[in-house]
Amino acid sequence: MKQILIQLVTAFIGSLGFGLLFGLRTKHLFWAALGGMIAWGIYLGVYALVPELFLANLCASVFAVTYAELMAHLRKCPATLFVVTGVVPMVPGGSLYRAMDCAVNGDLARAGDYGHKTLVVALAIAAGISFVTVCRELHTPKT
Amino acid sequence: MTLTKEKQTELAECLLDMGALLLDCGAEISRVEETLMRMGRAYGARHVDAFAITSIITLTMEFDDEDAITETRRIYSSAGTDFYRLEKLNDLSRSCCAAPIPVAELRAKLEHVAEGKKPESVILWGSILAAGGFAVFFGGTIWDGLTAAAFALLICFLQKQLGHTQISTTGSNLFISFLSGLGVGLLCRLVPMLHMDMILIGDIMLLIPGIAMTNSIRNMLGGNTISGAVRLLESLIWAAALAGGFMTAMLIVELTI
Repeated sequence: MKQILIQLVTAFIGSLGFGLLFGLRTKHLFWAALGGMIAWGIYLGVYALVPELFLANLCASVFAVTYAELMAHLRKCPATLFVVTGVVPMVPGGSLYRAMDCAVNGDLARAGDYGHKTLVVALAIAAGISFVTVCRELHTPKT
Repeated sequence: MTLTKEKQTELAECLLDMGALLLDCGAEISRVEETLMRMGRAYGARHVDAFAITSIITLTMEFDDEDAITETRRIYSSAGTDFYRLEKLNDLSRSCCAAPIPVAELRAKLEHVAEGKKPESVILWGSILAAGGFAVFFGGTIWDGLTAAAFALLICFLQKQLGHTQISTTGSNLFISFLSGLGVGLLCRLVPMLHMDMILIGDIMLLIPGIAMTNSIRNMLGGNTISGAVRLLESLIWAAALAGGFMTAMLIVELTI
């Protein structure tokens, strides 16, 4: 439980950091960081129910992009602003690092495992973004 | 609004500047093309063709009375992310499309946006929070978080210094990841309570081209396959440089100390 709380709080701080780093305006910062935190909460929730890496990341990324589109609509700004801060807690920095670490130490089997994990997560994020983009396009008439 | 031939050329140059600025702030290709087309139409062009990839923008506008105008702009930097200016440009384009302002005024407003970069202190705080936050997020202690935040400052400093040189993004990723890997590795040997992996993971998050990759996928989905593929390949090379730098540093630390 404590671990979950720490992760949620740090996901918020990390998303906030990226919001600042990319020059998000002060009035959007809280909402951007909140999106990142909820997305991670959804990842944790789905993973607890069905321990499937791809599915959990897909659900979280679908939420993050939907949230971004909603925020863009409500706050009259490009959705890109909120997409990045929403998906950033899912970016597989951890498994990328472990893949490198194992490769350096000659443990190629585990390096492959972590490399595979990194790819699966990256694909899940991309799939989530695609899914929402397609849904939005279905509702936008041709110009 | 009817424009003289001279003004039309001036407008085309203005719009290309706007497109270049949009790309530099991290806008998707479709946003760049759409903005130029809408703006051109708002200023009275009968037909507008805008084509953009990450390294070039071409714009052709046909006005009622004159021949078509075509202008091209080579883009040298298009991998930045600056949502502050991106939003300003978006607002400018929205208001201009609703009620076009004179070309000279548009030029002045664009220059104003171009100069309004985010302050350095904001970048520093952002890096500190992001690196520190993610070091703890991935399972580090509070001390790991603080160390990652300190090295985030080093990364910012290096990025700024390398920005003044000719170095490519690949080269700078290699160099920065090597130096910070070496620094963190040495520090962790001296202070055994720190976890090298957690600190490095936090700092990797700052350098990982996650945004470029996300954008490249969105570009490809939007039908801009060339730009998307180019950027995806670029970001994979940047990630490989990042891994190469860290791995070399880790090897040196493990073999020598």
